[in-house]
Amino acid sequence: MPTPFTFDPVDLPPGIPAFRAEIREWLAREMPRDYPSHQRANCWAVYDADFSRRLGARGWIGMVWPKTYGGHERSPIERYVLMEELLAAGAPVGAHWIGDRQTAPAILRYGTEAQKQRYVPAVARGECFCCIGMSEPNAGSDLASVKTRAERLPDGRWKINGQKIWTTLAHKSHLIIVLARTSPQDEKNRHAGLSQFLLEFGTPGMRVQPITDLVGEQHFNEIFFEDCIVEADGLLGTEGDGWKQVTAELSLERSGPERYLSSMSLFHELLRRVGPDPASDAVRQAIGRLSAEIWTLRQMSLSVAGQLARGEDPYVQAAIVKDLGNVFEQALPPLVQSLADAGVRLEQDSDFVRTLALLLQVSPSFSLRGGTREILRGIIARGLGLR
Amino acid sequence: MADLEQRQMLADTADRLFADATKSAETDAAGFDAALWAQAVELGLPSLLVPEGLGGAGGDWEDACVVLQAAGFHAVPLPLAEHLIAAQFAAVAGIDVPTTMLSFASAVEGRFSASRTFEGRLLGVPWGRHAGAVVALQPDRPDGVPLLIRRSDAFEVEPHVNPAGEPRDTLVTRGSPFLVGQPRPDGLLLHERLAVARCAQIAGALRAALQRSVEYAGTRKQFGRAIGQFQAVQQQLAQFGTEVAAASAAATAACRAMARLGNGVTAADARFTIGAAKLRCNLAIGVGTSTAHQVHAAIGFTREYDLRRSTQRLWSWRSEGGNDRDWSDRLGRQVCARGAEHFWSDLTARDDAASSPRE
Ligand SMILES: Cc1cc2nc3c(=O)[nH]c(=O)nc-3n(C[C@H](O)[C@H](O)[C@H](O)COP(=O)(O)OP(=O)(O)OC[C@H]3O[C@@H](n4cnc5c(N)ncnc54)[C@H](O)[C@@H]3O)c2cc1C
Repeated sequence: MPTPFTFDPVDLPPGIPAFRAEIREWLAREMPRDYPSHQRANCWAVYDADFSRRLGARGWIGMVWPKTYGGHERSPIERYVLMEELLAAGAPVGAHWIGDRQTAPAILRYGTEAQKQRYVPAVARGECFCCIGMSEPNAGSDLASVKTRAERLPDGRWKINGQKIWTTLAHKSHLIIVLARTSPQDEKNRHAGLSQFLLEFGTPGMRVQPITDLVGEQHFNEIFFEDCIVEADGLLGTEGDGWKQVTAELSLERSGPERYLSSMSLFHELLRRVGPDPASDAVRQAIGRLSAEIWTLRQMSLSVAGQLARGEDPYVQAAIVKDLGNVFEQALPPLVQSLADAGVRLEQDSDFVRTLALLLQVSPSFSLRGGTREILRGIIARGLGLR
Repeated sequence: MADLEQRQMLADTADRLFADATKSAETDAAGFDAALWAQAVELGLPSLLVPEGLGGAGGDWEDACVVLQAAGFHAVPLPLAEHLIAAQFAAVAGIDVPTTMLSFASAVEGRFSASRTFEGRLLGVPWGRHAGAVVALQPDRPDGVPLLIRRSDAFEVEPHVNPAGEPRDTLVTRGSPFLVGQPRPDGLLLHERLAVARCAQIAGALRAALQRSVEYAGTRKQFGRAIGQFQAVQQQLAQFGTEVAAASAAATAACRAMARLGNGVTAADARFTIGAAKLRCNLAIGVGTSTAHQVHAAIGFTREYDLRRSTQRLWSWRSEGGNDRDWSDRLGRQVCARGAEHFWSDLTARDDAASSPRE
């Protein structure tokens, strides 16, 4: 049995219960009591700059980063506990989520001293928000086929031309890592010739155009680059190493508890609605089954956190948890809909209905963002030795 | 109690023993392999959960977990899980653990006389025909008093088997001596112990079915290539892989909760964990068995082919130690009673507490 399919339990360090209590106390203060349930759903896509700044001030962004760069040198398990508590509470963490999860860690890993100084402390303060410049109109799952080009000018600066799409929160961000081609595509080595660039929004030649999503919300965007000039130190890491770097970034992107904890508010709403002693067998049994699935997903997600904390790269394990989490979270809204009593109509105005209606419509995106189900299962199949 | 290295050695030992035995033996899975049982006894496997002071091997449920996974993986025809559970239950209830093979009864009907003889029927006794004594709970007592009923000449066996051919017998006695233990010694019932054991066996059997399916997909050729090169087949096996991973994570976590019972884990916590784990393992059986058979197609549907040794056990074990309805109802009731305000905090509190054993 290949090891990616085993998930050893984790022992949480002794200080965790106290830290958890501290987070809950803080959230009880910082999140209004009547904070609506449907905004708690999919909360890591909910932008609230002020909330992020307060979280930063509390020391809860960049928890594991070095103090020199505004971090707090806490343990990765503590950071994991913070993330799961924020998600379970439905806190509006969208503004800083990506910067905390992958952008600043990528800069800390591959960046120059000047890049680290310039960006990482600002991300940790909850002042610099980041986004992911990977997908293009013709490069989705096949990310290596990106066409955006970065050309080195004689003076060492870079000129970028091309387009990104589906860029979450680009219209409200300060910084983006753009994956671009720095040498022509070589069909024999498709992963060669890619590089990553750090671009600040507002750079001349960069234009952001919001895309309205299916429910009418604006969170993702197109970005156009027209002769956009980037200073020589805009290159992140090594020229030509873009694929290796973006793969590491994707590992961070996929491995967290948000991949199974985007719908807790709907489960909570369901529990509120059915009350302490539902008469229906079907309702009770569905709740039991959902509880068992949540419990299992949490065991697995904790195990991945433990592997990350030990410095391992649980690439396949992360794909497994994301896929299982996506399957679970996509089954949840229709199940809740089917269980709701006859009094429920989706045009109704209640916390329960608003949350259900939102997740019914939004959950199909869960198995797209961060890599589609088919791509993840391809990774898992490789882990099984099938490819 | 074993450290990680010792536990790995234990896992390897069990794995080697079972692999050799099931390779050489005529693998009619149902038959009790007496020689293999003797070897397992020699290695202390069946008495793993009995404290050393009482003549056992002094291991814990995390040790049992690796042994039972190996047993499930190799589909060994042994009452290992049953003996482990029965022996531990007797030991914690303060009953002297006999050296014969032990099993347990899922239900009891009959009369218990003041002179400590039992006359009646012991129902659903796994491997009952081979058992030297049977552990049971005395019915009509709220706390379910633990009993150990010795096998005697007065026993008759009504043989039954589950779809895997594993004996699930009824034992009828006209009068057999029994010993009485202390009620609810650690708050967990036989049924709950059985659920944990089946989780570990299920995790092992699912892994075997997955491994067999992956190997088969790598060798079976159609349309000029191995079927494992077709993306449709890869995607099915990948999903199977995620289910196996889930079952194995659930089983390991449940065994850990058992190992820490009374030491960071309360009986109520353990019951939730066991229920969640058994239910999740049961769900994995659905996807796992159907995918394994789909990938194998007709050859997997033959009596001769070994896949059924895993899948027939999996189908059977789904009902043993609590079926989907049992556990989902129990969990659902509990979760609803606690309400939305406590669901998440209960979930996290259990792992937080389990992580800091008092030692
Ligand atoms: C809400 C949301 C937020 C997003 N945010 C960002 C962001 O911030 N930054 C960013 O860069 N991107 C973002 N994305 C884009 C996301 O990464 C892509 O949608 C995803 O990678 C898939 O690309 P695509 O949409 O072009 O689909 P395609 O790649 O065209 O896929 C279409 C379908 O074909 C399947 N398919 C493709 N190739 C294969 C194959 N080899 N085998 C089998 N099936 C295949 C896919 O699985 C899918 O079902 C976001 C997407 C969503 C929905």
